[in-house]
Amino acid sequence: MEAANKGKAPLQNRLGIKGWAWAGRYKIERYLYTLHRLTGLGLAAYITIHMIANGFRLGGQGSWEDIMSIFGTSGFKVGEYLVMAAFIIHALNGGRLMLQHLGITLGKPKPPVYPYVDSLRRKRSLIWVMLALMAALAIYTLVAFVIGE
Amino acid sequence: MREVHWKLLQYIAGIGIFFLVGYHLIFSHFQSDEITEWSSVSDRAANAGWLTFYVLILIFGIYHVLHGIRGIILEFSLPPSAVKVLDWSIVLIGVAVFGYAVYIPINGFIG
Repeated sequence: MEAANKGKAPLQNRLGIKGWAWAGRYKIERYLYTLHRLTGLGLAAYITIHMIANGFRLGGQGSWEDIMSIFGTSGFKVGEYLVMAAFIIHALNGGRLMLQHLGITLGKPKPPVYPYVDSLRRKRSLIWVMLALMAALAIYTLVAFVIGE
Repeated sequence: MREVHWKLLQYIAGIGIFFLVGYHLIFSHFQSDEITEWSSVSDRAANAGWLTFYVLILIFGIYHVLHGIRGIILEFSLPPSAVKVLDWSIVLIGVAVFGYAVYIPINGFIG
């Protein structure tokens, strides 16, 4: 299919970024897709800031301690927690996507008997387990952050 | 390489990041604040094991982020010529970011 489509103009994405949030009755998988994007972009922004901050190491001890004093403020601590939460969400959902893309968690194919149920929805328990794990880890991390203060 | 191979590399990089960055986050944020003190940073910078760790994080991280951003941009129905420009721009950005980011731990290791 990839070879057949080579050189052809792609179909138009008429919804653009708005399609991330709404285009009719989205199921939970579609909102997880949006959440995956948002957490991914957030983590990318954090990594950029992290690498710039690491560059201050080249300026020696004074320069490093100056930048670290900024990161010690409570605003940045909240930011650090959000990074941890984004990492948990992105990693667990990424693991689910990998398993489903590779067909490992889709189950056996079934005949298309009405009412039709696609393979993702037949295996929705995987999503509930993942969401419960996300919530548990996010709460555990929050407690660890608060106790650590 | 075909798209599916780049996607598989994305998965491999993601698994690598999960373990390396997971360890890095736990080590950095669940330990005491001493971890960001200059003496601790200097000690780690002089260690070949940590240098390897940082270089691997950079390789996996930069690939995963840039391939992910490419996937998002490609959803906006670009013509084939623009896809080529995008691909080369991403390669150049990746090489530049890696060059800048890897210089920091290497400088610390040598210095």
